[in-house]
Amino acid sequence: MKVRALRSILFALGVSALAAGAQAAEKIRWLNDWLPAGDKAVIYLGVQEGLFEDAGIEVEIMTGRGSSDVVSKLGTGAGDMGSGGLSALMQAKAGARVPVTAVMSIYTKQPDAVFVAEGSGIENLKDLTGKTLATATFSASNVTWPLVLEANGMAPDAVKVLKVDPGAMGPMFATGRVDGTINWITKLPAFEALASEAGKKVKVLPWSEYGFNGYGLSIFASDRLIKDNPALVKKFLAVYKQALQMAIEDPARAGAALKAMVPDIDADIAAEEFEVSAGLIDTEIADKDGLGAFEPALLKETWTWVAKAQDLPEDALDPEDVVTRDFLPE
Amino acid sequence: MTSPTTSAPRSSAPAPWPERHRRLYGALDRGAPLLAALALLLIWELACRLLAVPSYLLPTPSAIALSAVQVPLDSWLTHTWATLRVSLQGYALAVLIGIPLAVALANSRLLSRTLYPQLVIIQSTPIVAVAPIIVVVLGAGDAPRVVITFLITFFPIVVSTVTGLQATPPAMLELSRSLGASRLRAVRDIQLPFAVPYIFSALRISVTLAIIGAVVAEFVAAENGLGFFIAFSTSFFKVPQAFAALVVLVSLSLALFQLVSLTQRLVFPWSLPKTEK
Repeated sequence: MKVRALRSILFALGVSALAAGAQAAEKIRWLNDWLPAGDKAVIYLGVQEGLFEDAGIEVEIMTGRGSSDVVSKLGTGAGDMGSGGLSALMQAKAGARVPVTAVMSIYTKQPDAVFVAEGSGIENLKDLTGKTLATATFSASNVTWPLVLEANGMAPDAVKVLKVDPGAMGPMFATGRVDGTINWITKLPAFEALASEAGKKVKVLPWSEYGFNGYGLSIFASDRLIKDNPALVKKFLAVYKQALQMAIEDPARAGAALKAMVPDIDADIAAEEFEVSAGLIDTEIADKDGLGAFEPALLKETWTWVAKAQDLPEDALDPEDVVTRDFLPE
Repeated sequence: MTSPTTSAPRSSAPAPWPERHRRLYGALDRGAPLLAALALLLIWELACRLLAVPSYLLPTPSAIALSAVQVPLDSWLTHTWATLRVSLQGYALAVLIGIPLAVALANSRLLSRTLYPQLVIIQSTPIVAVAPIIVVVLGAGDAPRVVITFLITFFPIVVSTVTGLQATPPAMLELSRSLGASRLRAVRDIQLPFAVPYIFSALRISVTLAIIGAVVAEFVAAENGLGFFIAFSTSFFKVPQAFAALVVLVSLSLALFQLVSLTQRLVFPWSLPKTEK
């Protein structure tokens, strides 16, 4: 009798252990390319809405310090997947065979922009001649900036650029110490909030309107993960795309999800930030090629800018080697 | 008729003026540091208001206090604990490695000749510059932050302890040797007690360095912590909030400093200079 009871208990335990094993989520250690903000909201939305959990994926979100930081951390195994500018990955791949590959594009337009004050008489790039801009010391925009000027018939040093800490740029702009700043356009809402305190309005000159074309923010995966568990990469991207579409339809929900996971965030500013970044995601290019695609011509153009900026020969890298289209969601 | 009103109070007044003066002076003297701090805050507040300094340049103390209150308590606790945890782990590691290492260095000419230069090289390396590399090598989690904190804190402990150990009068060591005391006993009973004042002055300096180390590490890689919170706040140009975090950091640093001093007073009262006993 006792033996039978014991046996049934053991059986029950065994079954529940098996069931738990079957349900055990596969884990992805995700690296954002910068501090939490609205433009990073998609991954938080996916987690908060339980989309990843439903697909059996457990996501741990970590904060990288720039795209190249994400690339090196994925390369050394400190993370599995993450977001970052495609240019940074191309630059890393051209220098060393970093075992990281881009698996999906997010921005089909480059996010770099110049912020100036409205009414300052600066209406286009040419008006910046002789002016002073502040830029973040380690921003990837800095290497491309002289090329954008050249592409628009200006001398590469026509504009004076001051390299400062990212946190100092807003105050310098607000106090008029500089005529403008070089930023990702996604920083606009936080900038506008600050500028309004100083009674200023921000005017944006997006570089994409001055011929700087290419893929910006993309999703990277470590080659180790791609080799060991390709099905997980595919499953993850399908869920990510679902979360992305959800966020585009309802930025406020994305902002709220971010706020729920990072309580220090201002949900309204986060929603506005995502809305601005949605303008780089949901573009005519994405309409044409499909969300997340890497179209060969635009991929090549992305590389051409990097090669020029890094003073590398065009054949130092085949841009096709940087991406894989095997995991793109249908 | 009989009105003693003019004379009575004078005769019954218990405290003559000079005594009251002295008491007031004593109170003022005790409260002087606090008053000076309050005066500074007042000048800061007034200067910012009168000169209309915008809050994103230099926030007023009141704006800092307000933003501190607006941050949920949970957030403060999470960030403060994260920084404290890393600081204390790095500090503990520095003490556990630093003091035995110092004993070894002070007692072995070979080790002193081979290891000391390397320690100086580590100390001369700007840890801020190598921090990103440490993070890449050690991966996610507390480990890289603890190591960065350790690297920033352990050198003063080693140097100061070695100096203390070497300050032992040679005559005493010779005496203990002639009485047949073992090397270990000489270290434990003679050298280390002599080094206690030196060790504690290093421990006091290092505990504040531990906070700095943790913040440096959080600037490079972290999901929370006061250093992360400052970087995060300035990324949204919330300067008063960043200042509030700074105030918490300074308080944390002061508290740890006092804690080390208190430990010395309680455990090794004989090691204090006469004036502090």
